[in-house]
Amino acid sequence: MYETIGIWVGAFFTLAIYSFLYKENPIYRLAEHLVVGISLGYTMAITYDITLKPRLIEPLLSGNHWILLVPAVLGILYITRFIPGIAWLSRYPIAFLMGTAMGVSFPLTLKTDVLRQLEAAMQPFYMSGMPWHEIFGNIVMIFGTLAALIYFFFSKPHKGLFFGTGSKIGIWVIMLGFGATFGFTVMGRISLLIGRIQYLLGDWLHLIE
Amino acid sequence: MSAVSKWEKMLNLDRRWIFLAIGIASIVPFLIGFGMPISTTAEVESIFDYVNGLDKDNAIFIGFDYAPGTQAENTPMGVAVLRHAFHNNVPVFITAYQPLGHGMALGALEYVTNPAIPGFYQSVSFEEWADLREAGITDKDELIASWESDGNALPEGAKGWVFEGRDFAMLGYAPVFSLVILGMTASIENQFPQDANGNPLIEMPMLREHKSLREVDLAFTTSGSSACRSWIVYGREKIGLPVAFGVTAVMATDYYPYIQSGQIIGQMGGLRGAAEYEVLLFENGITETTDKAFTGMDVQSAAHLLIILLIVMGNIAFFAGGFHKKTALKGRG
Repeated sequence: MYETIGIWVGAFFTLAIYSFLYKENPIYRLAEHLVVGISLGYTMAITYDITLKPRLIEPLLSGNHWILLVPAVLGILYITRFIPGIAWLSRYPIAFLMGTAMGVSFPLTLKTDVLRQLEAAMQPFYMSGMPWHEIFGNIVMIFGTLAALIYFFFSKPHKGLFFGTGSKIGIWVIMLGFGATFGFTVMGRISLLIGRIQYLLGDWLHLIE
Repeated sequence: MSAVSKWEKMLNLDRRWIFLAIGIASIVPFLIGFGMPISTTAEVESIFDYVNGLDKDNAIFIGFDYAPGTQAENTPMGVAVLRHAFHNNVPVFITAYQPLGHGMALGALEYVTNPAIPGFYQSVSFEEWADLREAGITDKDELIASWESDGNALPEGAKGWVFEGRDFAMLGYAPVFSLVILGMTASIENQFPQDANGNPLIEMPMLREHKSLREVDLAFTTSGSSACRSWIVYGREKIGLPVAFGVTAVMATDYYPYIQSGQIIGQMGGLRGAAEYEVLLFENGITETTDKAFTGMDVQSAAHLLIILLIVMGNIAFFAGGFHKKTALKGRG
């Protein structure tokens, strides 16, 4: 019974959101506002139920984890942003979080996104016995990377054989990348539509399995 | 007022006709079913082969790191890997990067263990097998034998038993998940003293055998945001944890460099990636049918054909009407 009601509610709001494709209307706006409100409410409930209650409130009430008062007070200081006289206190938890996050993530992010990628780009593009398509792929990757980097080098005018031609090839490489991303984006958007149609035709109308 | 040519009419077509055409192209293939074949790609095969090489002595993490907005793409990926792991008796820790992902993870687990869905796995809650656990029976084969000798029969159509705490642990969401990953490199239990159902992790056999991410063999994150990067930054680069991605199509191109650099085992890109995994599961006899992602690929092909047709028609109208020589179309500001 409750499942059936849930499916009908889901179907109604799916159609309500898609009604925007015809034109803006009050039913669409109602659905949009409900999405925002329910998502926030759900997030708050989940955060309390599986984070605040078992990780902070219950340990504190048990009387054995007084150290948890430190993060609790820091967390409460966030709320002081809403009280103009003491709003400056909210800077402390923000500073703590930013400092910690930077310290922890900076070396690992540098390794992940710079050093490893450089390492991967410094492979020999030809070795004995390597299949031709791999050699071709390596050449495209190396020259494509160099051309794209030349395009983003702004300290010299993009003229002449090296900077002029290089940047022109670079923009083509970048455009090919954008094209691939756009193709994937179209696929992604259609996938989301497919998910909703599967719900409407399957779960709601039972026209498909 | 000058007459509007047919080319201008084409270029000024009311977009609602295009929406309607896409809608029809997306519904009809579901009803007719073309059954177009799907070939598998190396980046998905590598994930499949890796998971296929694992068994009950290994353990994996599946991160449901997305919100309902990308459920259509991400859920089939998580479901497919979850089924594969259950088939091979690989223990699975289930996590979520964000609060809404917690609901997504619960939904995927319920789907795989739902008796109404073909090829389901019969779930046994942590409480139900407490006696066997206290008797020290935690090996999967011994556990099944003891459980069935107690009079429990596998329901018709079920692919097997999955025991909470032995085969899966629903850890769920935890705040600032990047730092949770970092913390789990030292101890999973410190970050999750209990699972989402309130069961203490320390009593779970799978936790006793895999105390930290250093003792885990794979983190598969199905993600609709850059959340998946955290698994590389804090898991892969810090302790060498093998990582695989299941990402939305929009994000797929951003993460191909990680495949080429060898930082991730493989990647499922969008619904297509999930469909490929479903095909691999089916072809290897792990599932008896393919699932929702595969079914959706007929529609994907039809919609893409229509979009290609519209792009070609738009370009023909643009050049045939001579608009490449003009600064603006008539009828537009």
